[in-house]
Amino acid sequence: MSIRLGTGDLARYPFLNEAGEYLRQSGFGWEELDRPDMADIIQRAAERIEAGVSGKVYEKLDRYETEILTFLVTLIMVKSIGMEPVLKKYALAEARRAEKFLTEDLRRQNDAQRQALLSKIFGDLFGLAIDTTEDGRLFKVKVTDYLARSSHFHEQEWKMINRLVSNGNVYLGPDETVRLVRNELAVMINGRVHAMSLPALPKAIKERSDTLRAELAPRYEYRAHSVTEYPPCVKHAIEVMNRGENLPHSARLMLATYMLAIDKPVDEIVEMFKNAPDFNERITRYQVEHLAGSKGSRTKYSVPSCDKLRTENLCFATKDCDSIINPIQFGRRRK
Amino acid sequence: MIKSEAVKAAFREYYFKQKLVEAPDNMDQREFGYSLFGIPGMVRHLSFKNPGELTAALVREVPSDVYCSNALYRFPTLPMQEKQWQGADLIFDIDGKDLHLPCVPSHSYPVCSNCGQASPPVEKEYACPACGNKKAEYVSIPCGKCIDGSKKEAARLVEFLTGDLGIAKENIHVFFSGNNGFHFHISDGSYRPLDSQARSDLVGYLAGVGLIAESIGVRRSPGSDLAFVKFPKSGLDYGWRKRIAEELDISASSTIRLTNIVKEKGGYSAFKAELDRITRQLGVRIDPQVTTDVHRVFRMPGTLNSKSGLAKFRCSLDRLDSFDPFVDACVLGSTKVQVRMKTHAKVKLKGQTFSISKEEAELPAFAAVYFICKGLAEAA
Repeated sequence: MSIRLGTGDLARYPFLNEAGEYLRQSGFGWEELDRPDMADIIQRAAERIEAGVSGKVYEKLDRYETEILTFLVTLIMVKSIGMEPVLKKYALAEARRAEKFLTEDLRRQNDAQRQALLSKIFGDLFGLAIDTTEDGRLFKVKVTDYLARSSHFHEQEWKMINRLVSNGNVYLGPDETVRLVRNELAVMINGRVHAMSLPALPKAIKERSDTLRAELAPRYEYRAHSVTEYPPCVKHAIEVMNRGENLPHSARLMLATYMLAIDKPVDEIVEMFKNAPDFNERITRYQVEHLAGSKGSRTKYSVPSCDKLRTENLCFATKDCDSIINPIQFGRRRK
Repeated sequence: MIKSEAVKAAFREYYFKQKLVEAPDNMDQREFGYSLFGIPGMVRHLSFKNPGELTAALVREVPSDVYCSNALYRFPTLPMQEKQWQGADLIFDIDGKDLHLPCVPSHSYPVCSNCGQASPPVEKEYACPACGNKKAEYVSIPCGKCIDGSKKEAARLVEFLTGDLGIAKENIHVFFSGNNGFHFHISDGSYRPLDSQARSDLVGYLAGVGLIAESIGVRRSPGSDLAFVKFPKSGLDYGWRKRIAEELDISASSTIRLTNIVKEKGGYSAFKAELDRITRQLGVRIDPQVTTDVHRVFRMPGTLNSKSGLAKFRCSLDRLDSFDPFVDACVLGSTKVQVRMKTHAKVKLKGQTFSISKEEAELPAFAAVYFICKGLAEAA
């Protein structure tokens, strides 16, 4: 069935190719943005970016055509600001805005037109086939499609074991189905901004972007941290090692990568392994240097995630871990 | 580690006549590797274009162990960073030694880490009869119970794969590992693109790690260890939720019963711990490292395992029960080989029991090689 998209749909999903097409057909040109009556759009675009970097979602959807245009202006301004963290936060906020609309639409998807639009968005943009259960309350996605996406989420509830799984399908509610692709949407918007080449900017946009950049820059200055205490998994590994007991390979890898990540010198790290029953200084040194990326494959290894450590039974979380996702974050959370 | 010419000769004979070696699909995109007798380490990053090339290499080199990547690469012979990974088959390893069965000490032979002296299994604390050293490496000759234990895990894995994951039986290939466990190769292409993290989540699912109480409707009351029950909208009809519901004998309407169970256990935290215990018990004990490694070279079907001289042997899914690795996977010849035993040892192969208490014995090659590979004998 062919899908007719109204301006309402385009305002909610302005990242669809049809939105750009719509503007082209309406004969819009960039130079028009310098017209005084366009100030509102630039103002809305700035609001949209500011909301995004503050972790909020821009809510306005009162004038469809204005919002379609606002979205495109926002992309240009984010590109012009040229700060990666701003782009990242903005893209995520944009994805969360779309998430809200998609969820609403999925809930009302008994309407055939809606259903076609959603299949198009999920299929075209994300390559994800979704199916509904007989009673229409839940959505089915393939186990492999689910895993490819959910495994990058950190909340325990997204682990497949906490899902209803049967015969190769994972059953999800509307909000969960949308959450599954939200990151991809953010990645897509991010990619689109990266791929954009800036036209000669209308003065109004240029000025507003410059002001925004000056406002936002101080938020992203580097803050140094220092480690005062090891996370419990690392402590546990050190204790086992000090007792002279055999520490599994995976735990040794964690211990060494953690110590490298906090900039402990290789000599001191090698020393930590000297109680291992099979200790051989030459081999240990090579392995630590290998992990540091200075020997062998030249790949610097990162500290295994909390998820991975849990699967390997190496996690000894305490309440101080406080929902960190990698041991390296232990004690580093800004209060 | 030189395992003697006798072992190599038996392996050579096998590879010369072999009909069991199974070349993988997409052979030209796989990385191969092998170990050689007497040379530590592994030769990796090899490529064979067709089964003929592979057979020729096996007969020429007579490797002690042969491996093939589960991954597909554009350039399988280049260094890892340049291979261009194209996906990897999903694989599982069930290893008998990870099951920690109570029978293991009764058939584990200590080999002194100081002088190499082997001794019969000991129930009490070990001390080497030759030098008194207390540290040893233990060599296990798996018994029927060990194999049954691994089979049970394998059957449970099949149940998860076909039921929960909906993988068709013809895409599940089960092999005896050649020593003490089973290897699974899944040929369902939709799993190939999954990265290590996605496979790790899958391992968690199969092993029963990480089920939260909320999944089955038990929620913590804010600020206390008390719990209340609110069943998930999606119900308890399938997968892990169903397993737990059956185990606790509840349904999606037994709010009161579940509330009482949590109370009996002593609150939210205690219930959570109990849930963790149950899921691990109901889950499958698979080696997480093997499944999550997407660059692994994995023992090749139909090749010999130098830890035992048995073959990695294909088992029919429907006849897993009657499969006997000590008969079916014992594929070496019967030429007589003279061995010097390091200790009294016992094994049943091809239906014959070899309980050797003499210092020297003449055994058929398959039995002699088994004892030599286990480190309990050497060729005389």
